[in-house]
Amino acid sequence: MKIFKVTWRYFINSLQQNISGPTVFLMFFVSKFIRYTLFISFLYYLSSGVKLIGGYTWEQMLFFYLVFILVDTVVQMFFREVYRFRPLVISGGFDMVLAKPFPPLVRCLLGGPDYIDLGVLVILLAVVSYFTSVYIRPSFPQLLLFFLMLGNTLLVATAFHIMVLAIGILTLSVDHLIMVYRDLTALVRIPVGLFTEPVRSLITFVIPVGLMFTFPAQTLLGLLSWQIIAVSLTFGIAYLFLSLKFWSYALKQYSSASS
Amino acid sequence: MRKYLTVFAIDWQNQFIYRLNFILWRLRNVLRVLMTYFLWTSIFSSQTSVFGYTREQMVAYLLLALFVNSLVASAPSNDNVGGEVSNGTLNNFLVKPIGYLRYWFTRDLSSKLLNIIFAIGEIALLYLLFRPSLYVSPSIMSILLLISAVIIYFLLGKLAISIVFWAPEQTWGLMFIVLVLMEMLTGLIFPLDLLPRWAFSALQFTPFPYLIYFPLISAIGRPVAFRFLLQSLFWVAILYYLVKKVWAKGLKTYSASGI
Repeated sequence: MKIFKVTWRYFINSLQQNISGPTVFLMFFVSKFIRYTLFISFLYYLSSGVKLIGGYTWEQMLFFYLVFILVDTVVQMFFREVYRFRPLVISGGFDMVLAKPFPPLVRCLLGGPDYIDLGVLVILLAVVSYFTSVYIRPSFPQLLLFFLMLGNTLLVATAFHIMVLAIGILTLSVDHLIMVYRDLTALVRIPVGLFTEPVRSLITFVIPVGLMFTFPAQTLLGLLSWQIIAVSLTFGIAYLFLSLKFWSYALKQYSSASS
Repeated sequence: MRKYLTVFAIDWQNQFIYRLNFILWRLRNVLRVLMTYFLWTSIFSSQTSVFGYTREQMVAYLLLALFVNSLVASAPSNDNVGGEVSNGTLNNFLVKPIGYLRYWFTRDLSSKLLNIIFAIGEIALLYLLFRPSLYVSPSIMSILLLISAVIIYFLLGKLAISIVFWAPEQTWGLMFIVLVLMEMLTGLIFPLDLLPRWAFSALQFTPFPYLIYFPLISAIGRPVAFRFLLQSLFWVAILYYLVKKVWAKGLKTYSASGI
């Protein structure tokens, strides 16, 4: 219960920080809005010259992209503190985190959510809901599976960020690692099915960005078999377990050299 | 001039300190090209020509875009100048006989040289994988367009960052808008002449197509009217004037409050 209370306090503190700078909030909102609008316009324009992109219709491509933005926005919003981890380790500030009676992993993962994306998220949820009800019209079981796969996506995203934190402890020279993750996720702005082997398998199960971003949309579109869904869920749990082990290992290696 | 050569030499050596960091930065560039490559490959799987481009032409364009982007967009100044002004480090430069922006331009050039060397290696590797029919025919025009692109990018970045003098917390917000626009409007992920004529014409009134698209198509031997070089130089002149004015005003308000 204490963990929830303290985490809630972190959330409130971050929110107060965010709303103290409304101009920055507006700038990022506008930038993100421009980014998404431009890419959607690009996809739409492509559809005027190309009927099917790798077997997908324009509506399906758009849906994949909308789900991509949705997942990406939620993950970025909650795990923003990971982006500030390297300076924390280098400055010795991480010692203070370790010395406090609060799980350092929760502090480093959820200690500084970024509500700048909240505006985008609200609009996005409305657009995805509208698009799903008008163009996809899924059955109730499909909808349930979609939320299950979304949950699995968040599980894998958590595991991914834990790995990044652990590597951040082991090798201080990495400050681009989280950005590499961002670029890897940007790969699957288009469905993972458009990639050829071995890249497709690599980004589905080794670096599971395909599993994270494409599978929920495929589930809703009815394009994913139950076997693949079962494998994905098992993989998600295994990946989280491995990342927690890796975090424990990294913590044991931490030498507090910079403090 | 000698002091800037020394800055260049020192920065060149500095770049080899965080080697893993640099390799990850390069990996990020390759990942961006991969997403675009697979998107276009999927499009060309059902037709031989899209908006007048064949698959080979498109792949060649994307590979060369990686090279031009490495040359133009590798600018550590964009990540550092805002921070140095807001935390007061700028003081160290103001009391030294060295131009602050020239100092950073020199460091950017050093970074560009290293990035180009790596980009050539990456393009060679991607060439072996994808085997596109690459045709490069650099001319004086293309070299001038490239030089102009490098200067436009530097000045554009500094103009966006100069907001730091008045609103330090909003520095990254404005730069983020520039980067978002660059993502889609420079020709990095598709040749801009794919766009409808009106959109392509409208873009010519912005600095973005002069950053990647025009230098690139000129380098692959496609005719580029002389007026585009003049327009590019016109942007250099406008941005130079604006940066000079804005920085002069900014320095008058600068109070080294971070110290």
